[in-house]
Amino acid sequence: MSATATITMIAPPSKSTIKLTPQSHAEASSSQAPKSQKQMTKAERREQQERQRAAKAATKASGPQPGGSSQNSAQAKKGAPPAASTSASVKKGGKGPDGKPMKETKEMTSDDSARGLRIFSHFGLPKPPGPSKGDIHPTIIRLGLQFSEFKIAGANARCIATLTAFKTVIQDYVTPPNNTLSRHLLTHLSPQITHLVSARPMSVTMGNAIRELKLEISGSDIDLPEQDAKNLLCQKIDDYISERIIIADQVIQETAGTKIKDGDVILTYARSSVVEQVLVGAWDDGKRFSVVVVDSRPMLEGKKLLSVLSAMDIPCTYLLLPSIGSVITEVSTVLVGAHSLHSNGAVFSRAGTALVAMMAKQHSVPVVVCCETYKFAETIQLDSFTKNELAPAGDIFSSFPLIRSKDTLILNKQPNLEILNPLYDLTPPSSITAVVTEVGVIPPSSISSIPLALGRTTL
Amino acid sequence: MPGLTTTEANTSASASPVVSFDICETYTSLLKNEELSAPLAAILALSKLIETSDAGTMLELVKALNDGAGALKASTFNPISLNAGCELFIAFVTLLPHDSASFSDLKLELVRQGQKYAAEALTYRDKIANLALGFIKDDSVILTHSYSRVVMKTLLRAHERKRISVYVTEARPRGLGLRTYEELTAAGIPCTVVLDSAVSYVMDKVDFVLVGSEAVVESGGLINAVGSNQIAIIAQAANIPFYALAESYKFHRLFPLSQYDLPTHTSNILSFPLSPGGNVVPPPSTGVIKTAHEKSSNADYIRRMTPEQIACNPGVDYTRPDLITLVFSDVGSLTPEGVSQYVVGMFAG
Repeated sequence: MSATATITMIAPPSKSTIKLTPQSHAEASSSQAPKSQKQMTKAERREQQERQRAAKAATKASGPQPGGSSQNSAQAKKGAPPAASTSASVKKGGKGPDGKPMKETKEMTSDDSARGLRIFSHFGLPKPPGPSKGDIHPTIIRLGLQFSEFKIAGANARCIATLTAFKTVIQDYVTPPNNTLSRHLLTHLSPQITHLVSARPMSVTMGNAIRELKLEISGSDIDLPEQDAKNLLCQKIDDYISERIIIADQVIQETAGTKIKDGDVILTYARSSVVEQVLVGAWDDGKRFSVVVVDSRPMLEGKKLLSVLSAMDIPCTYLLLPSIGSVITEVSTVLVGAHSLHSNGAVFSRAGTALVAMMAKQHSVPVVVCCETYKFAETIQLDSFTKNELAPAGDIFSSFPLIRSKDTLILNKQPNLEILNPLYDLTPPSSITAVVTEVGVIPPSSISSIPLALGRTTL
Repeated sequence: MPGLTTTEANTSASASPVVSFDICETYTSLLKNEELSAPLAAILALSKLIETSDAGTMLELVKALNDGAGALKASTFNPISLNAGCELFIAFVTLLPHDSASFSDLKLELVRQGQKYAAEALTYRDKIANLALGFIKDDSVILTHSYSRVVMKTLLRAHERKRISVYVTEARPRGLGLRTYEELTAAGIPCTVVLDSAVSYVMDKVDFVLVGSEAVVESGGLINAVGSNQIAIIAQAANIPFYALAESYKFHRLFPLSQYDLPTHTSNILSFPLSPGGNVVPPPSTGVIKTAHEKSSNADYIRRMTPEQIACNPGVDYTRPDLITLVFSDVGSLTPEGVSQYVVGMFAG
């Protein structure tokens, strides 16, 4: 689903859509009969706006900066935009998009060529937050942008950012007359949530948190004066963040810290906020161990963790995922984080975690997953591709070492090449030794009994 | 029974009120009762502590209990099963709601509950024996390890109705397997002692393996006398069922990630001896016993490990849950996953 000038088909992507659009795009570029704004219908106006935005992007893209252009055109996930259509859109002048920053249009220049994605097409491509329906709060717009550009990444960070943004939304909300807060606020929040989801698919953490929030809203007392009700909701949000994320992380830090002994070699993958906290906490407690940070492209999140750990003088080794086989025999424990935890004990985490866990299992190294209980999803997940997310290609992420110029390094714009970057993968419960949560150390087979044990009806 | 060192120096009631109650001594004298296992003795010792304590609030009482438990743990080499009992009792005191008229009434109630539990727990072995009976077929050949009271009870119970024959491992270094051998042959059950190293040799002749336990841990795994893990691995390789018998008060909140994550694992165990200069010292002369025949020839001494060498070896080991077929307990016959769900449910709340 790219956001190019797909005129009528703004609906979910399908193979047929993809095949149609090149022609429709070509049509659009040829029929450039100017109409006044009033005469055009809303759809046509929108279509023109999109075209103009695409044109402006193309002109900016073919600007002086070679790096910038490859960056912009690199957004084409579905094979290279045929050169013809790019030049066609350059011919049109265009007034700039109203109020939407440039960066969004990167994705729009990606033209859907005849081929779509072979696999993973069922969850489509990342796209920028499109024209928003209804009025979206500026905080949410900003958040959507930050999500789509991966400025805020990581399950915990996204959830906290979402909830904080919703606090602002709630405070700015005014109940219209003849309506109650508990009912109308929910309808008010829906488009905001949709906007965020369109920026980037919702994480399990965000989903759980929003579900709790909706529950609180619908349960709020009708007789409360509006400001009090809003304050109460914000207080509940704060409690949720504090109880189920911040304090849970502290408990996990203590519990997992007991599993770290002097002289251990701890291996971790990419960057988990919880694991970082555990390692830092254990070092502060006086335990002396060393860390192996395994990282992988394209996100290279491990670099951030590495900088934090080395700043504390923790002896670290940094390597990329393919070389994990050479160090695994030296490792005493593997500590990883999770995006979500499923009822069958499977762990959904950054792509590559499954490899690390399975390798560790082969070598009888215990694999410990650090995960708060609010990350539990009641679903069962059996493989990595029924539900996953693709990373947008291009230079959004930390740069890789530049041996050659960026142009040659970016592999897009080739007709027979697709770049696929799934963000998550599934670690089967058989590869996991233990899951450390704030309620204790649990074997993966018992995950499903946690909510019952805690007396919770929801997660 | 774990080797105990009764040290009077361990003051139990370390809180300011000076009490003439020594928890370690109480514990040791309770253990003299053959029927009581370590966790039960711990529970009774702790209830006695409540009786003689003059704590005025719940907080003081819990602190006194924790201190007492700490003293008990410090006094013995192998505190795991004892720990299970202590934790169970302290969890009972703190987590369950109690309503009583006054605090002293509450204390009396707790003591009473503790003693009632211990009395009831003595029937657990019979329950387990009856449960396991259904899995023992006539003419079974059973392999067991070391000495366990609950396994003894089960075997004797089975012998009343069916024909069984038993292989028991020697279980070095303490040689408790020989005690099993004596008691079984006294009861008329055909029994043979098997070397620890001959378990894989004998495994194909065996119908199933039956072991007792020191503790069952949160992962669903088993902590038992050293050698159990080996037997479990061999049993799995030979597709022989491995059954563990454990009373519910042995369920522990521990979660060992590996053998070396056990609380009983010290840096001394499996260490290489080093002289102060860092060189490996020549091995101390192994104790050599000359048998009667070999007085003439110098070959063929039966060598034994010295006590120092034995001290470098573990006393208990951890068996992973995927190696265990079923755990028979007074709460029923559970799979290891079921055990972990039970333990999580018991302690996580």
